Amino acid sequence: MKNQAALKMALSEPAKTLTVAVAGNPNAGKSTLINALAGTRLQVGNWPGVTVEKKEATLLFQGRRLRLVDLPGTYSLSPYSQEEIIALDYLVQEHPDVIVDVVDSTNLERNLYLTMQLLELGIPVVVALNIYDEFQKKGYEINTSLLEGSLGLRAVPTVATRGEGLEELLAAVLEAGDHPEAHRPRTLNYGQDLETAVQEVERHVQVRHPDLATRYPQRWLALKLLERDERLLRETNLGNGPFLEQATRHLREGHGDDLEELLAEARYGQAAGLTREALKKKATGRRELTEKIDAIVLNRFLGIPIFLVAMWLMFKLTFDVGNPLVDWVDGVFTGPLTRWTKALFTAIAAPEWLVSLATEGVIGGAGMVLTFVPLIFAMMFFITLLEGSGYMARAAFVMDRAMHAMGLHGKSFIPMILGFGCNVPAIYATRTLENPKDKILTALLVPLMSCGAKLPVYVLFTGLFFAAYASTVIWAMYVLGIVLAMGMGILFRRTLFKGESPLFIMELPPYRLPTLKSLLIHTWEKGKHFLVKAGTYILAISILMWFLLNLPWGVADKKDSVLGKLGQGIAPIFQPLGFNQWQAASALVTGFIAKEIVVSTMGQIYGTEEEKEEAPSFGEDLQEIGVSLGKAFWEAGSNVFSTFGIATLAAEEDEKTESWRDKLTESFTPLSALAFMAFTLLYMPCMVTAAAYKHEFGTWKWFGLATAYGLILAWLVAFIIFQGGRLLGLGG
Amino acid sequence: MNLAMLQPGQRGRITKIGAIGPMKRRLLDMGVLQGEEVTVEKIAPLGDPIEIMVKNYRLSLRKREAAGIAVEVTG
Repeated sequence: MKNQAALKMALSEPAKTLTVAVAGNPNAGKSTLINALAGTRLQVGNWPGVTVEKKEATLLFQGRRLRLVDLPGTYSLSPYSQEEIIALDYLVQEHPDVIVDVVDSTNLERNLYLTMQLLELGIPVVVALNIYDEFQKKGYEINTSLLEGSLGLRAVPTVATRGEGLEELLAAVLEAGDHPEAHRPRTLNYGQDLETAVQEVERHVQVRHPDLATRYPQRWLALKLLERDERLLRETNLGNGPFLEQATRHLREGHGDDLEELLAEARYGQAAGLTREALKKKATGRRELTEKIDAIVLNRFLGIPIFLVAMWLMFKLTFDVGNPLVDWVDGVFTGPLTRWTKALFTAIAAPEWLVSLATEGVIGGAGMVLTFVPLIFAMMFFITLLEGSGYMARAAFVMDRAMHAMGLHGKSFIPMILGFGCNVPAIYATRTLENPKDKILTALLVPLMSCGAKLPVYVLFTGLFFAAYASTVIWAMYVLGIVLAMGMGILFRRTLFKGESPLFIMELPPYRLPTLKSLLIHTWEKGKHFLVKAGTYILAISILMWFLLNLPWGVADKKDSVLGKLGQGIAPIFQPLGFNQWQAASALVTGFIAKEIVVSTMGQIYGTEEEKEEAPSFGEDLQEIGVSLGKAFWEAGSNVFSTFGIATLAAEEDEKTESWRDKLTESFTPLSALAFMAFTLLYMPCMVTAAAYKHEFGTWKWFGLATAYGLILAWLVAFIIFQGGRLLGLGG
Repeated sequence: MNLAMLQPGQRGRITKIGAIGPMKRRLLDMGVLQGEEVTVEKIAPLGDPIEIMVKNYRLSLRKREAAGIAVEVTG
C-alpha cells in the first residue's frame, strides 16, 4: 500500500523542471551544442530591452523537463559589455538550477577563466569539454577526475558537431540538478591576502546587509565588492563609507591599488595551475592548419586581395542566387495571385476600391515581404559561414585600419558591401558587430551604399540625358555614396557617438568547418523571424501607403489624389534643386515603398493609360508558376557561374520608358537630372529597410535619424550639384 | 618598450598594463596579464592592428591598445 501511495504521488506530482543556463566563451561551439540538443524546438527572441539574441528550448530527457537558456557567449563576467551584463544578471537573479559551461577543450586555460567566475556563484556547474575530437587529434590528454575533484564540478567530453557526449552531458546535468548539495562548487583559494579580505567583507555584509546576504551568493558578492563593481556599490551603499577602504588596505599595500587586476591574476592563476596538472600535451612540432591558412590569408600582399575576392563571392552568391527567386515570388504575387483575387472579389461584387486595396495594399505588401526572404536566407547563410569558419575575425583584422579611419570597425565592411545589393540584408548583417556603438553607426551609413533598386532610376535618367557616358555617371553615383559615407562616419563619430571608440581586442579563433545542420538551423531561424516580425511592419506600412496613393477614390486626375496634393505641397522645397514639378516630388514620395517605384510612378504620372493584357486562364497561371519556378532555380544555379549582369537590366529598362520619354526630357535638364539622381541616392531608406531597422534595433529611432540626415544630405548635395553647375555655366 | 613596438616573431614578457577602465579589464579577461609571455605573430596588411599569441591562442588588438602594454623583449 505504502509503495502504491508513493507511486501515485510520483505520477500525480511531476518532478520539477530543471532550469539550465548554458554559458561559455565565444567560438567554443556553444550554439552548435544548443542546436544539437534542441534542434527546431529552439525559440529565438531578444533579451529584454537589448538587441542581444536570446535562445531557449525545453527538452524531455529521461522523462524530465529541462529548460535550456542560452546565455550570450562571453570571456568573462565583468560588467563592461552588454553580453556580460546579461549573462551575469541572469545567473544572479534567476538562480538557474545548473550551469552548463561549454569549454573549448583545445584552449583550456583561457576557457577555464570563465569557469572560475561561474564557480564563484555557488550554482552546480557541468563543464562540456567541447571540440573533443580536435583535442584528441592534437594528441592531448586530460585527467577529467582531477579537474572534477579540484573544482567540484562534473566534466563531460563532447563533440557537438557530431552529437557525441550529449547524452552523458544531460545525465550529468540531471544528476547535478537533483542533488545540488553533492555538487556544490569548491571554494578556490585565491591566496592568503585576498581570502582574508574576502572574509572580512563577507562578515560585514552579513551583519550590516543581511538582506543582500540572502539575495546574492556571499563569496561572489564579496569578490564583486572588492572589484568595486559600481552597481553593487550603489546597492550596498558601501561605496561611500570607509569600510572597503579599511578592509582592503592590507591587500593594497601588498599588491597595489588595482584589485581587479589582482583578482584576474588569481583566477587565471587557478586556471593555469589546473591546466598544467590536468592536461598533458605532446609536443608534435607540426605546424597547425590555422597557422598555414593564416600565412596566406593574412599575408601582407595577399591578405586584401583574398578578402576582396571573398567579399565579391559572397555578394555575388547572395544576390545572384537570391534574385531569380525574388523575381519569381514577385511574378507570382503581381501576376496570378493578383488576378485570382481580382476575379474572386469581382465574383462577390466587391467595390472596386476594395479590390484595389486587397490586391495592391495587402497582396502587394505580403509579396514585398516574401521577395526579401531569399535574400535574407542567403545573406544569413554566408554570414554564419564566415563567422563559424573563423574567417570573419580575419576579415575584420585585414580591414580594420581602413574602416577605423572612418570611425567604424573592421567587421563593418561586410554590411556596407551588402548594402550595394540591398540595404535590408545589410542592416541585418550588422549583427556581426558586438559593440552597440559600432553596430548602430554602421547601420546608419548603410543607406548611403547605392542599392540595386536605385539603379533603374540612374539607368532611366542617364539614358535620357547622358547617353554617351551613361556608365561613368552611374559609377559616379556609387562613388558619391561611398565618399559621403566616409564623411558622415567621421562626423557621427565626432558628434553623436563621441567618446572612447570601441575596443578591438578580438580573438582570432582557429579555422573550423561549421556543420551544414548548424548553418541551416541558424539561417532558418533568421528567415522565419524576419517573415513574422519585419513582415508585420512592412504589411502595415504597405496598406498605409495604399491609402496615400489611392485616396480619394476615383479621382480622374492624379494631380487631385492625396499623393498628387502631397507632391504639389512639397514641390517648392525642390525649387532650388532644379526639379519643382509635383510629378517628380510625388515619385520621390512613392520611392519610400521601394526605390525602383520612383521609375514606375513617373511612368504612371507622366505617361498615359497602361496597356491592357490578355488575362491567362487559371490553368495557364498554375502552369506558368511551376515553369517559372523551375526557371528561377535554374537561373539561380547558373548565375553562380556567370558574371554579374548589370547590362541586361539596363537594356530591359530602356524599352519600357519609350512612351513618356519625351515628357521627361521636357521637364528635366541634364543638370537637374543629375541633382535628382543624387537626391534619389541619398534621401531616405525604403520602408522594408525601415522595418529592418525597427526589427534589428527594437526602436524606430535609428530609422528616424537615418531619414533625417539622409534628407538633409540629399537636399544639400542636390543643391550643390544644381546651383554649382549653374554657376559654372552648365545651364539649368 | 611596449607591445606595439615588437616586430613579428619577437617575444616579450609583459611588465605593466598601462590601460585603465574597460580596456584594462578586457585585456585582463583575455589573459593579457603582467608576467605573461606574448609573441607578436603578424601585423595586418595595412599596418594595424597586430596579432599576438598569448595563453596559447591568437588575439588581435590595435596598436593604440598595444602601446599601453609595457614589455621586456625576451626573444
